[in-house]
Amino acid sequence: MARPPGRVTYDFVTRTIARTLGNPGKGYFLLLGAAVTLLAIGIICLLYLLRYGLGLAGYSHPVYWAVFITCFVFWVGIAHSGTLISAILFLFRSGWRKKLYQLTALGWRGTNEEWRHFTRGYLYLAALATPLVLSVHSVVSWDFAMAIVPGWHATIFAPYFVAGAIYSGCAMVISLLVPIRKLFHLEELITVHHFENLAKLCLLTGSIVGYAYLCEYFVAWFGGNAHERAAFWYRAFGPFWWATWTMIICNAFLPQLLWFKKIRTNITALFVMSIFVNVGMWFERFVIIVVSLAGEPFERWSNATYNPTWADWGIMAGSFGWFFMWFLLFVKNFPAVSITEVKEVLPPPTKGRPAEAHAR
Amino acid sequence: MNRRRFLKILGITGGGAAALSGCGIGPEPTQRLLPYLVAPDDQIPGVATWYATTCRECAAGCGLRARVREGRAVKLEGNPDSPVNRGRLCARGQAGLQGLYNPDRITGPRLRGANGQLAETTWDKAVQLLAQKVADAKGKGIVFVTGHETGAFGDLVDEWMRAVGGRRIAFESFALEALREGNRLAFGTAAVPHYDFAAAKYIVSFGADFMETWLSPVEFQNAFTRAHAFAAGADSSMAKYVYVGPRLSLTGLSADEWIAAAPGTEGLLALAMAQVIVARRLARSPADATRLGASLAAHTPDKVAAQIGIDAKTIERLAREFAASGGGLAVAGGVAAQAANGADIVAAVNLLNYVAGAVGRTVQFGPDLAQDAAGSYRQLAALRDQMAAGKVAVLLVHGANPAHADAAFAQALGKVPFKVSFSSDPDETANAADLVLPDLHPLEQWNDTRPRAGVYALQQPVMAPVFPGTMHAGDVILRAAGRTGTFKDYLQTAWRDVHRRHGGGKSFEEFWTAALAHGGVYTEIATRPVRLGPGAIAAMGEAAPPFAEGDATAVVFPHPALHDGRGANKPWLQELPDPVSKITWHGWAEVHPETAGKWGVVNGDVVLLKSEAGEVRAPVWITPTVRPRVVAVPTGQGHVAYGRYAAGRSFNAFDLLPGEPNRAGGRTFVVAVKVTKTAEHVFLATTEGNAREHGHGIVNVLPLAQAQRLRPGKHVFEEEETPAYARGAEEGWADAQREMAALGGYAGTHPRWAMAIDLSRCTGCSACVTACYAENNLATVGEELVRRHREMSWMRIERYVTGGEDGEPLHAVTAPMLCQQCGNAPCEPVCPVFAAYHTPDGLNGQIYNRCIGTRYCSNNCPYKVRYFNWFNYAEPGGEFEAWPAPLQLLLNPDVTVREKGVMEKCTFCVQRIRGKQNEARLADRRLDDAELQFLPACAQGCPSEAIVFGDLNDPRSRVRQLSDNPRGYHVLAGLNTRPAIAYLAKVAAPSGGAA
Repeated sequence: MARPPGRVTYDFVTRTIARTLGNPGKGYFLLLGAAVTLLAIGIICLLYLLRYGLGLAGYSHPVYWAVFITCFVFWVGIAHSGTLISAILFLFRSGWRKKLYQLTALGWRGTNEEWRHFTRGYLYLAALATPLVLSVHSVVSWDFAMAIVPGWHATIFAPYFVAGAIYSGCAMVISLLVPIRKLFHLEELITVHHFENLAKLCLLTGSIVGYAYLCEYFVAWFGGNAHERAAFWYRAFGPFWWATWTMIICNAFLPQLLWFKKIRTNITALFVMSIFVNVGMWFERFVIIVVSLAGEPFERWSNATYNPTWADWGIMAGSFGWFFMWFLLFVKNFPAVSITEVKEVLPPPTKGRPAEAHAR
Repeated sequence: MNRRRFLKILGITGGGAAALSGCGIGPEPTQRLLPYLVAPDDQIPGVATWYATTCRECAAGCGLRARVREGRAVKLEGNPDSPVNRGRLCARGQAGLQGLYNPDRITGPRLRGANGQLAETTWDKAVQLLAQKVADAKGKGIVFVTGHETGAFGDLVDEWMRAVGGRRIAFESFALEALREGNRLAFGTAAVPHYDFAAAKYIVSFGADFMETWLSPVEFQNAFTRAHAFAAGADSSMAKYVYVGPRLSLTGLSADEWIAAAPGTEGLLALAMAQVIVARRLARSPADATRLGASLAAHTPDKVAAQIGIDAKTIERLAREFAASGGGLAVAGGVAAQAANGADIVAAVNLLNYVAGAVGRTVQFGPDLAQDAAGSYRQLAALRDQMAAGKVAVLLVHGANPAHADAAFAQALGKVPFKVSFSSDPDETANAADLVLPDLHPLEQWNDTRPRAGVYALQQPVMAPVFPGTMHAGDVILRAAGRTGTFKDYLQTAWRDVHRRHGGGKSFEEFWTAALAHGGVYTEIATRPVRLGPGAIAAMGEAAPPFAEGDATAVVFPHPALHDGRGANKPWLQELPDPVSKITWHGWAEVHPETAGKWGVVNGDVVLLKSEAGEVRAPVWITPTVRPRVVAVPTGQGHVAYGRYAAGRSFNAFDLLPGEPNRAGGRTFVVAVKVTKTAEHVFLATTEGNAREHGHGIVNVLPLAQAQRLRPGKHVFEEEETPAYARGAEEGWADAQREMAALGGYAGTHPRWAMAIDLSRCTGCSACVTACYAENNLATVGEELVRRHREMSWMRIERYVTGGEDGEPLHAVTAPMLCQQCGNAPCEPVCPVFAAYHTPDGLNGQIYNRCIGTRYCSNNCPYKVRYFNWFNYAEPGGEFEAWPAPLQLLLNPDVTVREKGVMEKCTFCVQRIRGKQNEARLADRRLDDAELQFLPACAQGCPSEAIVFGDLNDPRSRVRQLSDNPRGYHVLAGLNTRPAIAYLAKVAAPSGGAA
């Protein structure tokens, strides 16, 4: 990580980040309220589904999986990139949260020995989590790839899904980071340079995803399997062409703009692009799941379309509510940026500089 | 729980079940709990009893065997003893049970009170009132309207009417008056002959829908497939089948060639064919046919071709083929016989048969069908006018619903001071009645019917009345007439006459018991010759259609399942996709794509059809199976009453029809209409996905010439072998299966249950679908859920079409699609909880209690034959309840009723397989192939015997032989799923000139 500008000292970091935990304003509660409302809608829909049956959702034979599984894969993908927003608790005493932190700190006193264990543990966790990102999303992809459904049954699925997960995660990080940085005045800690790096990662994974799309179509054509060809023809030109082209344009074409440094370093442009990628990645899962099933190329008689109902949208809204509620609670109750990690890259305080900066 | 308490509970539950069956089934709360100390002789709990009776869903008189469990009928099957249906049964017959247990049945006598509402009354009061009203009305007009009654009940009504000075008329919406009139014109006899489809070598149907509603559909379909199916080996010939008519009906789907003649011109085609045959001396015509020659000359192919809408060469070719076959059979009916000139069309077709020498061979007068008992529309129209003029004091109606079929009749009902209905359903006529005396359901009552000369079919009650408050109409009439005895006594008295003639030396009791066991007495009647009648030549002048010009010609046809509307309150029939349109729960208007383009309408757009008589608003279904500028609309829907499933559904096509009878005395079902597009749109609940299968190998068709060259052992349809690199994996899988089988003590030789479906036999009639609903407790889900493709039909009929564009001839192929019971099933490995598993005898089992509803099995099933319970269809009072009381009584106790959230699919009727296996084990014998062949409900019901079941491991089994047939193929064999179902390719006789 590149070093932040010179005026960023240990003390500055602590104060800047701790400020994010200050008493929340009206806007925060408005957002939190919106998230909780969405979640409540989702819960009510869920209860309805439990009582009356899944039939309230828009499933139609042969589309037996739809928006719920789409959301599941979407959020699992995002969660895996969550490791990128590393948030290790830094403990400090502040107002009403003291008790909470004492509880969660489990007696942390900040001794030398404890720091040594912490860094070691941190390393092990990272070593564990990194392959987990790969393995879990590979398994999710193989859940699909083991089927014989054209559009699912592909050897490319594991790297395709892992790249997609990181891609969507990066996009989500950008989407969340831009407003946080602005609202919490973290410009000096989260710099354009960070964004540029995120953009580069987006470009890489986005290109892998684009390559995977290309591969799928190439193999469908080159493989000569009539069913496979029919399925991909349906995907691109069938009744769901709009979903497919939304996915291709948002995920494969738009990120190619990131080759330009001007765009990589333009926060507004990045924010807009990240939203497009989020939408595109949601549609990618929708296309893989719903369109592959609807365009069933084996049994022509069973072709059917799919129309989501209020239950589908309700549960989906609930999943967004669930995510943003926890996210909003998190940013106000825990430091959103890891204080220790930022400090690690700062030049250590030397003699002649205020000592308390180190203590905090 | 201690032992004492346990026994107490056991006693109460067991006693309750016993009381339910012992005291009759009904909605009344059980009053007493009695132990089954002395069981009825004919009942063993858990073992079914079978009763022979006769189906009364239409006039064909098919024999039935009702499976009765613990005192309630749970399944209807064809009676193999009956010469009519030979053990087969159509969808309507299967659905008879839903009439028996219909939740909307009238439970007891009702009398219209001072407030104008029908209120409950007692039978004593009701019968007394009836007798008194009839006595008072003497001389003021008493009319009894019945349905098509050919047995003792009709005789009783006649006797009573004679005694009280009234008269009886019979009313059938589709009474085929033109058939009788056409025969009278051509042969001087109004009898309807027996048509020997099985012996035919070339069949031309002029609109006759002989597989759906025409005369005796099951019998004819069975015979038809005997002639039309391709039987390689013994005889590699097949009868060619040509369908003539403006609309391709279910009967037309099987046609090798479809002549889309303009409505009403079918007779011209027949005359032109006859002209060619006579002029070219193509057949040995009877001597008196020569006097037709001069008149026929006016109908040369050149002269009539333009009017029919085909070219003259086609007519000439058809005539040559027909004559050269040496066994031609032409039948006229359906749409053709219901045109204004229907009788003349029938007469023309008779002449064709006559000059080709078919009369006496494939057309047999003698064993005549009892069609004269169907009455005529002329009689009904006359009655209606009398009623309107106030000349009818008492009107009694039984087994007919004229108020639905004729709007003017419904109005005229208001002019009749006292109306009595014997209907047990709240139909439109019953709703208008002053006194309703609900009859027993045909399955609950004694009666008989004589569908054709020589066949005496008996009806016996197969169970105690579902509603004890209903009473046999025969008993009511006997009481009202002041006579002693029950209707059963009356019936037996009538049967003493049958005994005298066909008793064969047995005592009456022996004779009666034997007749009951066999479902009746069946005798052979000799054929008699007929000669040309005096009207034959005169009829020829009228064969041209006298149509008024409109935007289009509307052809109103009977719905194959709902018929004239009498099936509309049976959810099985409402949810059964129409064999042609695949639309459920709604009426539609068939429009040719070209015409639809002209009118600017798309599927579901509602058009207003306006005839001179009335108008209907019908959603458009665009299809190449109808002639341009023709709109075909089915009857069956549009009830304003008749129960929860029927009332308020789409439109009543009868409203389009003129109220005046045509020259044949029948109703005219072909009318000119004005068409207006409306702003309305209906989302039709269709089960059709993609009607063109694009050569994916789901259905295969072989031209006759190629099929004839097939040799045993050489399969035409290449099956993809497992590639070498995958073989190891597959063997490993098979080993694992064997290991699993060994774990449960299942090791040993097991059968491999399999099926062979011959597409050259399948007509798409869908009897198997309803049979499956009945056997396997399939839920009906209603129109809204069918729109989302959530129907639960384990068995569906896929109807694919080819051609029909750019002048290509249109052909249809139908194929039943059900679980293929794959040897290498994609559904099994994706189930996380092993609910989908492989049984040792090769079935893909599905354990409902284990299923958690991931639905992955369905996603991975390439045949898409797994169905999910989206809701709790069995929840009493629930929004999606499929079996409102007492409909739940028809549930098969051998089959689990599935819960919300589980997957289900075809089991090959595993309960029937296990039943047979247990039977064989108890008798210490091996299972015989003969008892397996038609074991599953679908195979049992199939009127064309297209489905054969058995053990693939038995080299002598029929299913094995059929599976090895060179026409055999597996659907999507390339996926290496190893299905247990082998389809035999359809064989098509050459259409057009090419041979």
